[in-house]
Amino acid sequence: MRAPDSDHLMRSFEDRLRGWIQRPPRIPADIAKSRVLARLPEVSRPVPWMRLIAAAALVSVLVVAVWLGSPRPAGEGSGDTTVAFAPSLDSNVVMWVVDSRTTVYFVLSRDGSEKRGVS
Amino acid sequence: MALCVALVSVDTTTVDLVRRALDGSREAFGALVETHWDRLVRLARSVVGDAEAEDVVQDSLVVAWTRLARLSDPHKFGSWVSRIVFRRCLRTNRWQRGRVSLDAIVEPSRFCDPEVSVSAWQILARLAPRQRAVFHLTAVEGMTDAEIAPVLGITPASVRAHRRQARAGVARIIRGGTS
Repeated sequence: MRAPDSDHLMRSFEDRLRGWIQRPPRIPADIAKSRVLARLPEVSRPVPWMRLIAAAALVSVLVVAVWLGSPRPAGEGSGDTTVAFAPSLDSNVVMWVVDSRTTVYFVLSRDGSEKRGVS
Repeated sequence: MALCVALVSVDTTTVDLVRRALDGSREAFGALVETHWDRLVRLARSVVGDAEAEDVVQDSLVVAWTRLARLSDPHKFGSWVSRIVFRRCLRTNRWQRGRVSLDAIVEPSRFCDPEVSVSAWQILARLAPRQRAVFHLTAVEGMTDAEIAPVLGITPASVRAHRRQARAGVARIIRGGTS
């Protein structure tokens, strides 16, 4: 006869538990909502990794493209640049590049004329 | 059929609110708080008792907001937030362990006396926290083992084991006074 008593006690306990737990909260839901919202910190949502990597790659490509396409300041290039842009000269002209700003041309007389000068 | 339609529409609303909250809408998160508040307070009551339950749930909801981006499936918001509440309850329970056992001291035989109002909590508090939660989610919320398992972070088999132990514990406590 103990089993039915135990079942009865268990049911009685479960009924009491339901009654106790299912009481409405002391704080109503709408007030709880405003209290919780007042406590919410500013959260910056994390950017998904794949998007972050793609964005970084795009920025890198753009930076390289802009750097390659930009004009070089004078003197930055190698010495070959000067030769490449040198005017075509006659065989009796000697060109002396002193530095990037100074070029001296010597014109040799072909016919032994007495004309002399400095250009 | 009408009930099914109602359940689906509630679920759709929750999912929509979760998606908007994920986009940073506090208003949507507030609506989620309002929707789930009563249920979460009931869960917390069963683990930490009346005095702490509502504070624990408020703290848990703030934590849930900061971790919302980790929620992989918006459909699982209910069990996900319940799990946060349950873990918070476990932590609170560790802090108040001594106090709970003192509060729970009651002569078990008095539970059987209808003229004496002995709180169900005074019996429940003698069980382990997981057993309390399983007892509550089964007996009060009517959830299945498969539904309870993700809330408590255990397997359905463990849910069954905790329920057996909880029932045996309650029976022992109650019978202890009647024999």
